[in-house]
Amino acid sequence: MSETDKLKIDIVDALKSIQDPDLGRDIVSLGFVKDVKFCGGVAAVTIELTTPACPVKDQMREEARQAILALDGVDEANVEMTARVRSSSSDNQSLLPGVKNVIPVASGKGGVGKSTVSANLAVALAQSGAQVGLMDADVYGPSIPTLMGLSEKPVSGPNQQMIPVTQYDVKIISMGFFLPEEKAVIWRGPMLDKMITQFLGGVQWGELDYLIIDLPPGTGDIQLSLCQKVPLTGAVIVSTPQDVALNVAQKAIAMFNQLNTPVLGIVENMSHYRCSHCGQRDEIFGTGGARKVSESRGLPFLGEIPLSTNIRVHSDQGKPVVLADPESEQAKAFLQVAENTAAQISIRAMAGELEQDIKVSF
Amino acid sequence: MDEQTRSGDDSPVIPREITRAGDHDIRILWKSGHESLYPARYLRLKCPCAVCVDEWTGREILRPQAVTEDVAPSSLELVGRYGLRVRWTDGHSDGIYTFKLLRELCPCCQES
Ligand SMILES: Nc1ncnc2c1ncn2[C@@H]1O[C@H](COP(=O)(O)OP(=O)(O)O)[C@@H](O)[C@H]1O
Ligand code: SF4
Ligand SMILES: [Mg+2]
Ligand SMILES: [Zn+2]
Ligand SMILES: [Zn+2]
Repeated sequence: MSETDKLKIDIVDALKSIQDPDLGRDIVSLGFVKDVKFCGGVAAVTIELTTPACPVKDQMREEARQAILALDGVDEANVEMTARVRSSSSDNQSLLPGVKNVIPVASGKGGVGKSTVSANLAVALAQSGAQVGLMDADVYGPSIPTLMGLSEKPVSGPNQQMIPVTQYDVKIISMGFFLPEEKAVIWRGPMLDKMITQFLGGVQWGELDYLIIDLPPGTGDIQLSLCQKVPLTGAVIVSTPQDVALNVAQKAIAMFNQLNTPVLGIVENMSHYRCSHCGQRDEIFGTGGARKVSESRGLPFLGEIPLSTNIRVHSDQGKPVVLADPESEQAKAFLQVAENTAAQISIRAMAGELEQDIKVSF
Repeated sequence: MDEQTRSGDDSPVIPREITRAGDHDIRILWKSGHESLYPARYLRLKCPCAVCVDEWTGREILRPQAVTEDVAPSSLELVGRYGLRVRWTDGHSDGIYTFKLLRELCPCCQES
């Protein structure tokens, strides 16, 4: 065996010491180490993660670099991080064939910032390099077109399918495109059902890593309809601190549990107020309630978003804060939520890949 | 987070395998390892659809006399991640049996 080949083996061995914290296994046995090169003292490896939004990407890169540099004969280590988002669905006949993960964002009631979270989540994931769609299914108050600064409407493509509007690298379809402007629509079961089917099957999403669905608030027919039509990866529950106290968020959790749709975790929105003059953190409704509920339910806590006018102002101007003010504390909070969500999706998807799903032979 | 670490009554129940048992019956092997065998007609009579059960009272509308002795499933289909749709030889296919319901209906777990 040549010296070079021997070193390549040493490099792989060294990388076995790096654990993926979410999957509890080393990155070599997970098959993440893709390409190992060595030439003239320089090592180059490619590590393929489960999402470009991996929360510990930089940390893993650094660990890998150090592990390789510790080897005799290596002077330089280049570690490239790539990602391949896995699909959580084994169902390829689904209405959404090219979509790897479908993530409804839900809340027990309206006004808690569900749309704000959906939009920022979608944009943050897209910014990380993932292919993202955003479906505004809130028939009662579609607000994604405003939040995302949309002016054009989607056009119809071949075979009657609608082509989503792309904004900030996110493919968007909104119920707002279809609603008559004059009067409020009263949605009845069959109509809702038809709309959802149209929404799910009648849109040319193409290949997507993540499709975020901004659900209407509450736990009624439309949520049930949705869960019955596509295999959902898992739901993100948005809650304010006072809703946690009032048991509103728990209703949404219970609904998804009943449907065997996993809950990926809870986001606490409007968590605390930071005075714009003195920077003091002032807890209006108390903070951390959602974290406690998460813990008691054994659900991941995805993060907390501060109550801040910076968020509302940018939303009103049609550019989510993660894009409009990326260095702000609010943007960073959303980024963390996006990373944690992507990590939870990865865990789900990999669980399906590592152990098998439901086998039906009939 | 795996299924096992979820707490409370609402933790999901998931099958590992769904197969035929004999000519008519359905067998489910659960992730937990428990095995359930459902006689075809028993399951047909438990159809949870709105035609067979009163949505509000939960009262069974379907009369046992209306279901033939030899009714059997003709096909099965997973619905989302939470249930099973059964097509019966009598033409009925409206009911979605959630895994939760199926687990509750397991004959060997019924108190007689
Ligand atoms: N963290 C936050 N800080 C300040 N304002 C917020 C925050 N989250 C949402 N808002 C504002 O609250 C209002 C309701 O938010 P929205 O996302 O539309 O809620 P939902 O979709 O749950 O009804 C909007 O005006 C939005 O800009
Ligand atoms: S997101 Fe989690 S599962 Fe995916 S690579 Fe990063 S640590 Fe691993
Ligand atoms: Mg909304
Ligand atoms: Zn029925
Ligand atoms: Zn039993």
